[in-house]
Order: sequence, then C-alpha cells, then structure tokens
Amino acid sequence: MSAEAAEASAANGHAASLEVEGLVAGYGEVIALDGVTLSARAAGITAVLGANGAGKTTLLRAVSGMIRPRRGRVLLADDNVAGRSPEQIVRAGIAHVPEGQGVIPELTVEENLRIGMMSWRGKRAVRAAAIEEEYARFKPLADRRRKLASTLSGGERQMLVIARALLSRPRVLLLDEPSLGLAPRVMAQVMDLVVQLSREHGLTIVLVEQNARGALAIADHGVVLNLGRVVASADAATLAADVALRHHYLGF
Amino acid sequence: MVEFLQFTLSGIVFGMIYAAIALSLVLIWRGTRLLNFAQGGMAMFTTYVGIEVIYKTHSYWAGFVIALAAGLVLGAVCELTVVRPTTGKPPLNAVIVTIGLLILLEGLAGIFFGGQYRSFPAAFSIIGLRVGGTPIGVSRFDVFVAVAVLIATLALAAAFRYTAAGLRMRAAAFNATIARLSGIRVARVLTVGWALAGLLGALAGVLVSPSTFLYPNSMDAIFVYGFTAAVIGGLDSAVGAVVGGLILGVVLSYAGGYVGGSVGSDLTSLVALGILVAVLMIRPDGLFAGARMRRV
Repeated sequence: MSAEAAEASAANGHAASLEVEGLVAGYGEVIALDGVTLSARAAGITAVLGANGAGKTTLLRAVSGMIRPRRGRVLLADDNVAGRSPEQIVRAGIAHVPEGQGVIPELTVEENLRIGMMSWRGKRAVRAAAIEEEYARFKPLADRRRKLASTLSGGERQMLVIARALLSRPRVLLLDEPSLGLAPRVMAQVMDLVVQLSREHGLTIVLVEQNARGALAIADHGVVLNLGRVVASADAATLAADVALRHHYLGF
Repeated sequence: MVEFLQFTLSGIVFGMIYAAIALSLVLIWRGTRLLNFAQGGMAMFTTYVGIEVIYKTHSYWAGFVIALAAGLVLGAVCELTVVRPTTGKPPLNAVIVTIGLLILLEGLAGIFFGGQYRSFPAAFSIIGLRVGGTPIGVSRFDVFVAVAVLIATLALAAAFRYTAAGLRMRAAAFNATIARLSGIRVARVLTVGWALAGLLGALAGVLVSPSTFLYPNSMDAIFVYGFTAAVIGGLDSAVGAVVGGLILGVVLSYAGGYVGGSVGSDLTSLVALGILVAVLMIRPDGLFAGARMRRV
C-alpha cells in the first residue's frame, strides 16, 4: 500500500476486506445466487465475471441489501451486514453503483451529489469540501453543477454516479458494469479511475464486468460465476491465461 | 363587470382550498404512487379536533394550531399503521385501505363528535369587503384563506427546494432505489410526506368549514374537487395542483354565480366533471405532467 493509500484509508477508518460466505439469493421461486463464497482483499480490485444470468448483478444486490439474502454471510471487516437494509449497509461502508440509470435525471448534478452524503452527518463546510473534492476529481461535473443530470452525456453520468457513491465515504465500492455503453476512450478513463481509487485511496473494489478482458487487466483477483455458482477463483493473471476458461465462460 | 370581479375573487378563494387538498394528494402520490382517498376524512377529523379546542379554550388560534398539529400526527399515524403494511402488495390493496380509512374516520367522527351540522368559526370578519362602496365578493376571512394557503404552498416549495429534508423527499419520490442505496431512509421520508399531507388537509378543513358547516361527510365534496384539481394539474406536479385548484375554483364560481339559484349550485359538480374531461382529452397526463412517461 502506498503512503497516500495508507493516509486515505486512515481517513476512512481502515481499508476493509469483504468476505462473502455461502450467499444464497433470488427472486421469487428463482434462485439466482446459489451459495457464492468469495473474498475481496482490502484495497484490491476483485473482478466478478461470467455470462448474462450468471448471477453477477444479483451478487452485488444481495451484498448491498437491495435484495435480502436467504442464507449466507457478508462480512465487512468482521461485521456481518447480511440481512440489513441498503440504507444501513451504505452506512456500514459499502457503496453500490448499480448498472445504468444510476443518476436521478430530474435533479441537478449538485443535488445528485448531495444525495451521496445523506448517510453521514457533518458540518456544512465539511460537506462543501467533500463535494469540491469530487468536482476536482471529475472536472466536467464542476462546470455543470447547476444543470439537470438529464443533460449529461453517458460518460458524465457514469462519473456522477461514481462521485455520488464516493461521497458516502465507502470502504468497499461495488461497481456494476461501469463501462457499459461508453465509448472506448471513456471506458479506458473509467478503468483508470477504478485503479486509482484502489491504489491511491485504499478502496476495496468489487467490479462486475461484461468486458472480461478489460476487467482482468486491472484486477488483482478474479471470480467467475456460472448459473449462480463460483466456477473459478484465482489471480487475475492466472484467469486471463486460462484458455479453456476464457473460451467457456469469458468469451475472449 | 362588478359581478365578474366578485365571482373571480371568490372563485380564487375556493380555488386555494381545492389547491391545498390537491397538493396534499400530490405529496402522497409522488412518494408512493398512491391516491389517498382518506384525505378528506383526515381533514374532517382534524377540523373536529380544532373545533373542540376552540370550544374549550375560546381561542380560535389555539384551535387552528392544534388542528394543524393533529393533521401532522394523524397523517404520520395513518401511514405507519394502515398504509405501511400494504408496501410491496398489489397497488389496489393500498387504495382499498385508504377507502376503508375514510369510512373509519367518518364513523369515528360520528361517534366522538356527533353527526349534526356544526358551524365553525372564522378567524376574521366574514362580511364582504367593499372598495369605494362596491362589494368585491370577498371578506377579510376570505383574504386570510387565500394568504394562508399561499404561505403554506410557498413554504412547502421552499423546503422541498432548499433543505436537505426536501432533497431527501424528492430523491425518494424520483427513485427510491437510488435513494436507499445512498442511505436515505425512504420509509421515514414517506411518513413525513403523509404527515405534511395531513397538515395541508387540516389547513383546508379549518379554512373551508366556516363556509360549509362541519359534519362527518363535510369534506367529501371538497375532496372530490381537490382530487379533480390534482388530476387537472397532472397529479405529479405541485404547481399543477395549485393551478388546477385555481382553474376549478374560478370556473365553478362563474357557473354557480351566473346561472344562479339551485340550478347553479347543482351545475357546479357537472361543470367540474366537464373541465376534467376536457383537460384529459387534450392532455391525458394533466396540464403539468412531465413529458416523460412513468411506470406506475
């Protein structure tokens, strides 16, 4: 961990690992997640890969409380958050950036950002400084702070959603397809940002991606899901080198 | 010309009351996509609380303030006890629950306060004001009615726009999932929305009752007009609710005033229906509905 990372994680408490143990979740009769166990190292990037319907999005939803897990544990550091509501889980330090449609288009850019700070109390000056920090990180947002979020481009919306998640002061960031629908150049910027957040700010990142090649290029560790179960879990480099696995599950 | 001015001004006064009811319906609709059929009943009940306090204390303002406070409390209690259990169930469940709540409140009012017509005092003189000897169709109390609703509306609008609590309510209304993922306690926000709706209803009840008498069903017609105003405005829009209320108030005032007699007063509900049908034919989502279609 770099010096900056140590400093940042000190500000956020500590960099925390996320352990998922035997998580079962689904929708009605359908079991979408059938006993998933994985470990996301503190301040690392864990890529969650697999085909459509493999259970990647359900995994993030069950971790953040959007759906209630039927069984299993979700340990943030040593705190089991499984079964809590989303508003409690974000307070515990897990921020979830859902796939697509993550901004509230009827609100301004700045209002969208202020929503990100609803999980903690703080003086007006502290809050203003926190927002300025995100404007410094995402300069295009600073120029449009009074504009409605509906006027933003796809890339800017993705920035806004990530900035809002960061404003909740998370220790773990769950990203669902952050590069979906973005131009290749913007996609590369988003991936660079993800690396920066983990390396420099000590954030633990769980990255769900359809673009397996791109995700494994920046991840430390990779987990492959199929039909709600873990079929492979290894170093990102090992997974990327496994021709059979790539062929069967990752499509590259 | 004088008549026209009189009808317009008194129409605006009644329109403001419809607007208050419409706003209270919009508040709940935006948060939960639920039409609160008990809104009129809640307003009636809290108005009874107000009149009892006025009789006990001989102070209009004590009754006024306590009626509004009772509206806040009743709104929150209704949400927590009756509406909350319908969360996640088919939308019709909540609708039926609010209709049941209306019947319950009207029954309880009959038991506690009696079924007879009671006159509700006005805060100010109800004798028509004159300008240069010509009556202008409104009294001091009517002016108070319009100003009170205006202040409540502006205060609400400012709170929604400029406070953190207002932002939480807007975020929860636009996208409850994102709001919850950001740490907003959406369930609590909905309770606050119902409380505010209860307060607006109580205000409307206290303001309209000097003109209508108070009895367990006295708010039924006001509710229907408030609902009509909300639909004209688009159900989603606070501005629409106020404009819808004013349009309805003024047009009904012309209908009742120019036609006159019992025909005129019977005509008003027909005219209200006519306006509703006309608006919905031209703009099916109401005058101020957003361009974007919403999933209901």
